[in-house]
Amino acid sequence: MVAVAPVMKKRRAKSADDGVLTVGRSKAGTIAANTAGILFSIFMLFPVYWVLNTAFKPANEVLSLEPTLLPKNPTFDNFLSAFKAPLFLENMLNGVIITLLAVAGALVVGFLAALSIARFKFYGRKSIILVILVVQLIPFISLLIPLFLMLQQAKLTNSLIGVSITYLVLILPYTVWTLRGFISGIPRELDEAALIDGCTRAQVFWRIILPLTGPGLVATSVYGFIQAWNEFIIINTLNSPDKQNLMAWLLQNQTTRGTAWGPLMAGAIITSIPVVIFFLIIQRNIATGLTAGAVKG
Amino acid sequence: MSVVESPATRPAAPAPIRPAASKKRKSDKTPWLLAIPALVLLAGLLGYPLVRMVVLSFQNMRLRELLSGATPPWVGFDNYTKVLTDSVFWGVTGRTVAFTIVSVLISVVLGLSIALLMRRVTRGVRLFMVVAMMFVWALPQLVAAQIFRWMTDSDFGVVNYLIDKIPGVDYANHSWFVNPWQGWSVITTLVVWAGIPFLAITLNAGLTQVPKELLEAATMDGATPWQSLRNIILPILKPLITIVTTLSVIWNFGLFTQAWVLRDGHPEPSFQTLATYSYTQAFGQSRYSLGSAIAVITVILMLGVMVFYIRQMFKIGEVE
Repeated sequence: MVAVAPVMKKRRAKSADDGVLTVGRSKAGTIAANTAGILFSIFMLFPVYWVLNTAFKPANEVLSLEPTLLPKNPTFDNFLSAFKAPLFLENMLNGVIITLLAVAGALVVGFLAALSIARFKFYGRKSIILVILVVQLIPFISLLIPLFLMLQQAKLTNSLIGVSITYLVLILPYTVWTLRGFISGIPRELDEAALIDGCTRAQVFWRIILPLTGPGLVATSVYGFIQAWNEFIIINTLNSPDKQNLMAWLLQNQTTRGTAWGPLMAGAIITSIPVVIFFLIIQRNIATGLTAGAVKG
Repeated sequence: MSVVESPATRPAAPAPIRPAASKKRKSDKTPWLLAIPALVLLAGLLGYPLVRMVVLSFQNMRLRELLSGATPPWVGFDNYTKVLTDSVFWGVTGRTVAFTIVSVLISVVLGLSIALLMRRVTRGVRLFMVVAMMFVWALPQLVAAQIFRWMTDSDFGVVNYLIDKIPGVDYANHSWFVNPWQGWSVITTLVVWAGIPFLAITLNAGLTQVPKELLEAATMDGATPWQSLRNIILPILKPLITIVTTLSVIWNFGLFTQAWVLRDGHPEPSFQTLATYSYTQAFGQSRYSLGSAIAVITVILMLGVMVFYIRQMFKIGEVE
């Protein structure tokens, strides 16, 4: 996600009304619209349903020319064989370590930078904002070649550290941008009051701004988690199979045993679960963020 | 809340309260000290590679130089002439551009239609639509691509099974990727399917900001729904549509994962995009410099859209 400002206050109140038009609407029209909406939702959900359906089918039902809408003999075998598959657990652990390192690093570094552009007026501030916006747009994959050569020379390929730093930088612009939005939402009067009461500036940051940015830090880190967890092209290029994450495992799995669809779909579910849960928690921020400022009522 | 703060609206707040501090703050290094860690990281892992990529594109880096660590020989514009005179490259570029145009058009039009539909349905149905889209949106790209690979599998895929059910159509064992047009329609479906939630939910959020009174008045005055859409909704929604369209262009132009996964990590020439082409040249064939040249050209091609996006962001910032 690019440059989504985290503004979630006030808009909520408005949505109670939802602005739905009531004048000039026929009952038949509503029924038609509802039908279209339901058909659309089913179309959207079908692939999600199909992966679940497949994952709980035993092998003979997966490879059946007459696929059934529900597993006839539901089983957890696919999940078990995914867990027992070579490197699955190692790669899962790698993914957790890499993601946590990257997110923690990005939060610390990003919070400081966000403080700088949200709370200070200085020459160069606009340039920093511009840089933050621009780097989010550069397709990271095009930087993969020099990045690979650099990390190779620094002996950081095939290590968790190299990937963690790369991911940190990958999620950093978004982190700075989002936290900036949260920090500028905190009234400056609070800073001033604390300064008058004798706080140093460092204390203001530590005792006032940091706690008040709490929800912002959570939302930002969750989004960073999703991005780092979902990445597989970089890690697949930089590291050998035992140093990869679950996404890359899903990719490897496809080439080494192309037809094991059941375990592959089970693996896909296991890999997606943390992301889906996290995403559903913070979706309000993502959805409302972008419209903020873009539409004036 | 503005996306980019305009300096005019920001009060120089602390000044009147602590004149001494504000005077000191003139030559204050604190903001830079705070920003330095981030800037160093960005410079080191984004800025430097960017420069290195450009440098590489003027050299000839092959596996030998990679292993020995020797400076690769300088070749001037050789890589660029090689790329730009290669008909394969132009084929790939044309395909990427065509895919971007088609997929973005479909996505935005469908996204807007779904957003409008969400305004018309009853509350329960709207909730169902949002939940359905949220699940799709949350799915990792790679997982979504794997699901589509499985659904379009020639032997056991459910898509063939369902199409085969239509009387008179034989789709058993049909392979979707023999004919590039069919293969690309699968890829486009996947990209549109995965992109719709972001577009529809964002545009729907924008639609809630369209004043209800305006639409009601228009309806009273006898405006058709089409006229309301064209003369009221679209003008209000325009800045938002511009932003989501630009973002979709940037994302779809860089298409990698979907083509890569659906073609088992070895996209045939007719399934290469600029991103996969650059990657295959570099990491498949160890032509790191040629790959870099292609990446540089890709970024240059995208530059116009990026500048447009950034300007739009700043413009919105100035509005508030």
